[in-house]
Formats: sequence, C-alpha cells, structure tokens
Amino acid sequence: MTPGVLGDVGLVLAVFFSVVGLVAALFAWFLRDARYVRVARRSALLAFLGTLVAFGALEWALLTDDFSILYTARNHTSASPTWVKFATLWAALEGSILLWALLQTLYTWLAGRRMRDYWTSPVALGTLFVIQLFFLVNVLFVINPFTPVPNPPADGPGPNPLLQNHWMMAVHPILMYLGFVGLSVPFAYAIAAMVTRRYQTWVAETKWWLIFAWGFLTAAIFAGGWWSYEVLGWGGYWAWDPVENASFIPWLLATAFVHTAMVQERRGLFRSWNFALVTLAFAATVFGTFLTRSGVIESVHAFAGGPVGPIFLGFLLAILTVGFALLGRVSAEVRDVGSVSIWSREGLLLSGALVFVVMAFVVILGTLFPLLVEAFNGAKVSVGAPFFNQLFVPLGYAMLVLMALGPVLPWRRAHSETLRVVVWMTIALVLGTAVGLAVGWTLWVSLTVGLFLFNLVALGWLVWNPIARRSRALGGARSGISALAWSRRRYGGYLVHFAAALAALAIAFSQSYRLDVQKTLEIGESWRVAGRTITVHALRAVEEPHRYSVIADVEVSGLGTLHPRLNYYRTSRTPFASPAVAYTLGKDYYLVLQAFDQKDARWVTLRLVVTPLVLWLWVSAVLMVIGTAMILWPASRRSQSAARAGEVGV
Amino acid sequence: MRRGLLALALVLGLAAAQTVGNEPPPDLSPQVFEIAKKLRCPVCRGESAAESNAGVTEEMRRQIAEMLAEGKSEDEIIQYFVDRYTEWILYEPPKRGLGLVVWLAPVIGLGLFGLGLYSYLKTTARRAKELEGVSDEELARVEAELEEGEAT
Repeated sequence: MTPGVLGDVGLVLAVFFSVVGLVAALFAWFLRDARYVRVARRSALLAFLGTLVAFGALEWALLTDDFSILYTARNHTSASPTWVKFATLWAALEGSILLWALLQTLYTWLAGRRMRDYWTSPVALGTLFVIQLFFLVNVLFVINPFTPVPNPPADGPGPNPLLQNHWMMAVHPILMYLGFVGLSVPFAYAIAAMVTRRYQTWVAETKWWLIFAWGFLTAAIFAGGWWSYEVLGWGGYWAWDPVENASFIPWLLATAFVHTAMVQERRGLFRSWNFALVTLAFAATVFGTFLTRSGVIESVHAFAGGPVGPIFLGFLLAILTVGFALLGRVSAEVRDVGSVSIWSREGLLLSGALVFVVMAFVVILGTLFPLLVEAFNGAKVSVGAPFFNQLFVPLGYAMLVLMALGPVLPWRRAHSETLRVVVWMTIALVLGTAVGLAVGWTLWVSLTVGLFLFNLVALGWLVWNPIARRSRALGGARSGISALAWSRRRYGGYLVHFAAALAALAIAFSQSYRLDVQKTLEIGESWRVAGRTITVHALRAVEEPHRYSVIADVEVSGLGTLHPRLNYYRTSRTPFASPAVAYTLGKDYYLVLQAFDQKDARWVTLRLVVTPLVLWLWVSAVLMVIGTAMILWPASRRSQSAARAGEVGV
Repeated sequence: MRRGLLALALVLGLAAAQTVGNEPPPDLSPQVFEIAKKLRCPVCRGESAAESNAGVTEEMRRQIAEMLAEGKSEDEIIQYFVDRYTEWILYEPPKRGLGLVVWLAPVIGLGLFGLGLYSYLKTTARRAKELEGVSDEELARVEAELEEGEAT
C-alpha cells in the first residue's frame, strides 16, 4: 500500500457513499419513507471517513517525504520543518480542495445528525450531498493530488516561501474553509424550505449553523489580516486585494443575513429576501474560489488556462440558477404581512442589512470593475484601496449608528424610555466628536470616537438596565447580576457589537495616523524618530535546514530589541523579509530589514512603520470570537427554562 | 485565501527586497510614502507603490524622493507618473469618464436596494392594513348579526 493508492481508495469510497447518500435522500423524498433518511445519515459518516482516509494518505505522503505522487512532487520538500510539511497539504490548489471536501463531508455528517424533521431533511441532506460530490469528483477526476509521477524526484521545490514564513499558514486557511463550508448548511436548509414550502421555520433551525460559520469567517478574516501584518512587510493589515475581497464578500452577506434572519424569526417578514441572501452568501464562497483559483484576476485571458476556472464558474451558476429558480416560485407564494416602522428594532435591522448588502456590492464592483472593463473595452483601470476606503467611511458610520440603536429600540415601536437613552447616546456622540476635534484629530477620526462612545452608552444601558430592574424586583444586586447568566446569548451579541465598535476605532486611527519612513543606518548608529531612539546593534546570519537568514538586532528605546530579518529560501532568488513588531497599547513599532551591506556588513536599511491602535484590532477579533462562542454555547437545561421565563418579562 | 496572492507575488518577483549591487537604498521620508500610496504597483495586484517591494516600486519611491528634493509638488510628481504610465497608474480611479462609472455605481446601488426595501415594506404594510380593514368590517357585521340573532 502506498499513499497514492490509499488516497484514491479513500476518494472512491467517499464518492461512492456520497452517491449512496444522495440516492437514499432521493428515495426518502420520493417514497416518503423516513427509513432512507437514516441510510443517508450513515452514508454521510462513511463518506466523511472515506475523505478522511484520503486526507490522511496525503499527510502520510507529505510527512514521509514520498515524492511518487503529483502533489508532493510539485509542492513539497523534505527540508521543511514538520509543521510546514503538515500544512503543505493546503498550500496548493489540489490539497486545499481536498481539505474543503473533507470539511464539507464533516459538515454534512454533523448537520445530518441534528436534522429532526423527516419532511425537510431529505432535501437538505440531498443538497449537501450534491455539494460535497462536486468537490469530491473534482478532487478524484480533475485535480487529483494522488496522480502517480512516472519518475519520482528525489526532492521537490517545497511550498511557496511566503507561506513558510509564518505559523498562521497552518491556521488561517482552516478557519476560512470552516467558515466557507459552514454556509452550505443554511443554504441546504433554505433549499429544503423552498422545495417543501415551509417558508418560516428554517431560519430558526439553521441559525446555530449560520452563526457558527459566521464566527469562523470572522476569525479567519482577522487572522488573515494579522498574518498579512506579520508577514508581508508593509505594515498594513488589509489591502483590498482581490483575494481578501473574495473572503470579505461572503462575510458581508452572511452578516446581513444574520440580522434579517432575526426579523423573519420575530415578525415573519423578509422571507423571500432571506432565501436570496443565503443563496448569495453561499454562492459568494464559490465565487471567491473561482476568482482566486481560475487566474481570472491576473488577467481575464488566463481564464482558459486551467480546468478549475470553468468548473467553478459552472458550479456558481448552478447554485444561483437553482436558488433563484426556486425563489421565483417562493416569491409568488409568500405574502409577508406587517407594517414596519423605521424607528423600531426591525426597521433598524433591515436598514443595517441594507448597509451590509451595499458594502458587499461595493466590494464586488471594485473587484470586478477592472476585469469587466478590460474584457469589454480592452482599457486598463485601477480600482485600489483609496476607492474602497472612501466608500467604506460613510457606510461604516451608518453601520456604527444602526448597530448602537438597533438593540436599544424595542420591536415594533419605540417608547419614551428608549428615547431618553437615545438622547444620552447623542450627547456622548456630540461630546466625543467635540473632544476629538479639540485634541486635534481629523473630523473623520473624531466622528468615529463620538460614534464609539455612542455605542458604549447604548451597550452600557443594555447591560445595566436588566440588572438594575432585576435587582429592584428581587432585592439585592447579587440576584440582579445573576441575570447575566440567563441571557448569555444576548450578552454574546452585545459583546460582538462592542468589538465591532472597537475595531472601527482601531481602523480609523491606524488608517489616519500612520507613519512610514525608511533610513540607512551604520551598525551602532542611533536614530531619533517618532519619539523613540532606534539603535542598530548587530547584523548576523543564521543557517537553518530549509533557509538562511540575515538578522538585524535593533533596539527601540523603551521597547527592547527587535529582530527584523531577511530569509533566503533555496527555491527563490530573492529574499523574503520577516518584519519585527513591538506591540504596544498605543502605537505599534514595525521594523522591516529592507537591505544590508553584503560586503562588509557595515550598514542596514530599515523601514519603520508606526501605526496607532492596531493592537486593538486583534483584541476586538478575540472579543468577537468570545461573543460568538457565548451565542453558540448550548444553554444548560436550567438556564434554558430560566431564559424562557425571563424572556416573557422583556 | 491569501495563498493565491502570495503565489502570484512570487511569480512576479515582487519580493525583491534586496537591491542589486552594494549601494544602500535611499532614505525615504514619510511624504514619499504618502505620495507612493496614491500610485499603483505596476507589476503586482492589490498593492500600491508604497507597499510593494518589487524592484519597479523601489525605483518609483526613489524617483519620488528625488523629485521632492528638487522641490517638485505632489501634483507634479503624480503627473510625471501619469505621463509615463497613463492614468492606469493612479490607485484611485479618476472621477470622470470610465472611472466615473465605478464611483457612481455604489450610489445607484444604494438607491436601488433602498428603493427595493422601501417598496417591499410599503407592500407588507398595505397588506397588513387591508387585513385589518377587512377584519374590522367583518367583525362589525358579524357582531351586528349576532345581536340580531339574540334579539329574535
């Protein structure tokens, strides 16, 4: 048995059991026989195990330096450290689609286990089987990583050096795929709801999966930002690069859907729109893969280069066709009834969703516009970060206003008590902005400070009010604080909102007050800059098995010694800079070794980037993940009943 | 998702951080980076001339620094690059001609999506009103008939 054979066997088994599962789901649906649902569920487990075997086989080949299959021969080297060998599985196209297939089969199995409704579950399971078959068939027949190599090389080129430069490579792609693939579950529930004409309840049934996927997408986007900050050496965390945009579009649409789903759950409104949103959010994950894997971004003419572009484009069109064809029938049948005041929670939730949809529209537009112009007109246009930044400023402000007001206002209609809170919030907004302007910050930064306080007052009231009310009712602050326990989910949501406001603050400051400067220093020379003294103490070289590094020891006064380095990999002529960052609560000091004296090692050229408040972006990411976990964590039976009892009063 | 970008970066030799020969690169003031941020890197994607480490952008930053030292204004420097590369070099699309489309589209998008939401809410509110109206009349009629029935 070789890894190549084992991998193919695993994939064949996975495809076989996916087909069995799909057929069983179809039988269950057409024969109206629930026993077949059980068959489908078991096949889902077997298909997952088959894919796991294939995944294990590829890891086996990587960890044992077996170069007899295509994937390792092209993307692996025996010189890599063990963790890089492990993560090389998703360092190139074939392996990452295999990882995607693995996670898809895992989700199908787990989602199947939770399906209780024998009417909708055949359709939902069937949809998930179709999706996983798409990936499995592709891995098996089109881009098979286990294709044998006639003359196995003694060693391969190894993965892209930029990927070996940071451990985040082992984490970020998995988070991203967990988020992408997770959106397939709400999509499958939506298809089932449309087919079985049960238009209302699917949103509540699928909410847990939606927020689960959303949490991973959020974590992945922030992790990607931090990775880029730590590795790419320009001191930024977000460049509006097409690859980043491709991951941002599903997040924006999923965020819109999280909010409109609440409106449907509570008021039975927006039902057809929610089908459209979830279809678009899931389609956006495939669109992202198409965009980044087909080569279409580099040039519209690269599209025909590989088989992956047309295949993913076909899959994308199939998803949209099925989703919107069913939606055509739904919109003829669904008659939402109910008046919505803009000055109510549902009014603001819908406005917030509108903001996120427009944001998604802007990102799609800015990413595709240069391609469309080039394809139809032959002209070349650049749509870069300044475009996105300028448009996201007003949209971001709208988001900050709505996300503070939404949770404060009650459903249906505002009453006078909430109006008083809004007055206090507005006072905080005006004061914050005024103080910001007085300090000398720009208008935009001052406004963000004001809006941050606007959110803070709202959240403070939301947290404090129920505690105070319960304390009054039950007599004693302790029982009031125990109120926190029974509405953990709500507080999870508030925490996510707080983190978003904090992130907005961090983004405003770091985008507005960034300092870039480059200087050549002799060894031992000191440089006064940005309120610090920077001294270069030494320049040294370090030899490692897979790379050769030149490291500068640079002291930043008050912050210790940093070690920016240049890494030389065997496969690349040019070195890769590894920046060094001194993180502080205020400003980050970010050093890149740009060049050094190769003859006498007498000078180094350093690039210094000083950016305020970046650290808080990573803090807000952690808070968002904690908040999401608070929402997702299953409630204990006792607090569930307590929550129900508590809900009545609120 | 970043891998695609990184792979491309490699192909284009974007990571050429080290200059050829043994001359130290020029010192660059913050102003150089401010200007470079407004220009795109001609050989990469998703990066401005301030961020990229490609050889071309190192040369661009050097030129910006030289022109600043000669006392040229920011507009003159940007014009110099536009003359060399056409307007494509501007990282922000110009707000006229073809570039205007991409600036106006978000406003139009906001208008259309907003209008869609507005008309949807109008429809649901009208339906709610219709339902209420019918039920009021029906209720009155039924009550009247019931009273009549009781009277007889």
